[in-house]
Amino acid sequence: MWLTSKIKQLLMVMKPGVVTLNYPHERPPVPANLRGQPVFDHQKCIGCGGCSDHCPARCILVRDVCQELRVMLYDGSRCTYCGRCADICPEQAITMSNSFEIACDQKEDITTRMELFMMTCQRCGRCYEMEKTNAIDRINLKGFRYDNLEQRALIRKTSETFDPTLLQQSDQYQRPSTKE
Amino acid sequence: MSKRKELEAKLIARLRDDVVCVEKTDPRTIFIDVKRAGIREASKIITNAGARYLCSVGYDNIERDGTLGMIHTFALDDSDQFVCCRTSAPENDAIIESITPDLPSAGWSEREVTDLLGLRFAGHPKPKKLVLADDWPDGIYPLRKDVPHNLVPKGAEDVAYELDEAPPGTKIVPVGPFHPSLHEPEHFAVYVDGETIKGCDYRGFMTHRGIEKLCTTQISYNEVPFIAERICGICGSVHATAFSQAVESAAGLVIPRRAEFIRTMMLEFERIHSNLLWLGVAGHLIGFDTVFMQAWRVREQIMWLCERLTGNRKTYGMILVGGVRRDITPEIADDIRRVMKTIEDDLAIIHRAIEKDTSIHKRTKGVGTITKQQALDWSLVGPVARARGVDIDARRDHPYAAYDEMKFEVPVLDSCDVWATLVIRVIETFEAIKIVRQCLEKMPGGEFFVEMKDSIPAQRHAITVVEAPRGESVHYVITGEDNRPERWRVRAPTFPNLQAVPLMLLDEQFGDFPIIMGSIDPCFSCTDRVAVVDLQTGQASSISKAELDALSRQQQARHASLKG
Ligand code: SF4
Ligand code: SF4
Repeated sequence: MWLTSKIKQLLMVMKPGVVTLNYPHERPPVPANLRGQPVFDHQKCIGCGGCSDHCPARCILVRDVCQELRVMLYDGSRCTYCGRCADICPEQAITMSNSFEIACDQKEDITTRMELFMMTCQRCGRCYEMEKTNAIDRINLKGFRYDNLEQRALIRKTSETFDPTLLQQSDQYQRPSTKE
Repeated sequence: MSKRKELEAKLIARLRDDVVCVEKTDPRTIFIDVKRAGIREASKIITNAGARYLCSVGYDNIERDGTLGMIHTFALDDSDQFVCCRTSAPENDAIIESITPDLPSAGWSEREVTDLLGLRFAGHPKPKKLVLADDWPDGIYPLRKDVPHNLVPKGAEDVAYELDEAPPGTKIVPVGPFHPSLHEPEHFAVYVDGETIKGCDYRGFMTHRGIEKLCTTQISYNEVPFIAERICGICGSVHATAFSQAVESAAGLVIPRRAEFIRTMMLEFERIHSNLLWLGVAGHLIGFDTVFMQAWRVREQIMWLCERLTGNRKTYGMILVGGVRRDITPEIADDIRRVMKTIEDDLAIIHRAIEKDTSIHKRTKGVGTITKQQALDWSLVGPVARARGVDIDARRDHPYAAYDEMKFEVPVLDSCDVWATLVIRVIETFEAIKIVRQCLEKMPGGEFFVEMKDSIPAQRHAITVVEAPRGESVHYVITGEDNRPERWRVRAPTFPNLQAVPLMLLDEQFGDFPIIMGSIDPCFSCTDRVAVVDLQTGQASSISKAELDALSRQQQARHASLKG
């Protein structure tokens, strides 16, 4: 029994031979609809903030530095490549590219920053909600947003009109702590 | 339905005034509210009626009525029913009678609730810390609503976990937190007499990520499946499906049949890849790396298939509340058929080559035995239970997705050892391939996603189970305001199975520790999903925390000087 098993095992190993690819010299085929690194198109983005609202990793941040200027920051170091942002974007401004070899030393290399001129938009979320009708996909954070980009912290306090004090407060943002 | 009526009548007759109300809204689930004085009696009556204990859920209700809630959940496997027995205790007198003396597998659930919510259990046989880090300060209960999700607490000083007393005449062999035979960090203190294991104590929960807290404070319903998927690197779709089903059930949303079929397929893909992975790991643990290499070679086929289908080899991201994200096109269907054929053939070759191998038999037969009764007492699940003659499978007993239309065998063996687990997982892989084929054959056309018309009302409770490759996962959801759940409890299959490991190890050889441990296919990350940010372990008997700290500081200083 022992010997026949061993012979069978030998055949099992011989038949397929070597299957390991000699990566990186040999590359496996990348499927067409791979969910790789998301790429943002600033021409298409309307700055609705929907992607930021629905990113499970909360790695898309939104900061209104004044009435007209909205800064959006995508921090690739925390991205899970789920593709939720691309699904949710009403303008198809996000594509899940097929680039996946994105390990790097500098966080900045995989960070995307967009500065969007917002015209007179009051950030009511209406433009987003006209496209997205699923009740559980609505925008939760409407109005002006003040995420802390340095600390990469999403701040859940928003205001209906631009509020310089909130902007300033967000600069001092600190994680709650019981350490003295 | 008659069994349900019978149970209700029994409860009311025996407990009288202690039963507050019996909710009948959901045909599959009975919610019973009892006063806290009657909770132990109630759970006894429920188990005597043939119910199997699942898990317990604690929740913070302080803002609403000043109480902490506690829910014990059970399943009636022969009549596809769940029983949720709810009770509560006021915050200023947060103590409830423990049910662990009657149901040993409730031990961890209760300890977890004590850690996370500060609800205590009178008569608990081992009221030690379970989930929180040793240096987590007293009096901060992370799952309470008033504790922020990103709190950085000040660590307590000089605290270490007290391991259980070693039985007389034994020596302690520490295994872990990092050990070659373990794939994730946890600590076992194994008490040995010579080569024979006489007992063991476990200190785990070292990979907490605070997932439950995060999902109930930060993100909305449709993002939770993506985080749920990351509870486990292996059975991701299981958790995403279970969560989505719970929310759908709470919201009364019916998803398209096609979506249910696609979910079923995703779950079976996951079973195939997980079983092959485990087969390889089991081979590796007994030093038989040929099995490891070959099983993983075959497995690669399914990984690539899933990559083509979902955009990723793991963490498929297919499941959403309301259906699935991508459809199965005719081309991908052909692809699936082809890959299933390859895997079936290749696995058959492996199976034939190892089934009669005496070295595998010697290492696995009669190893890690526990009796069927013990398996029942400890509420074991999945292949580990089925290898001990316990005939349970959530796919058949509590059908979800499209399993009601599928025909498949549930293999049950009674040799009660690691070998039986191995055989079962191989058979289940073949069964999974059959299920995938049936799905392709019977799949109806139409939509694969449905939108939610209205937001989900708060304060609805729902429970679902999904059979993961390693056993059944239980998800309990309480819906909340702000488009996110108020409480979400995940009980992964390793949670009950791991609790029985000391029993499986008893009187075994120390050399078999890795394979016995590995036979339950432990997933510590799933089990540890619960609590909070900060981690630190004191390694008990041999070195003090101060020494350890000093050592690691020295080490760091050395690195720094080398660099500088
Ligand atoms: S891919 Fe997912 S994690 Fe990454 S930015 Fe988009 S939504 Fe966030
Ligand atoms: S969802 Fe699209 S349009 Fe809206 S902010 Fe994000 S990228 Fe821009």
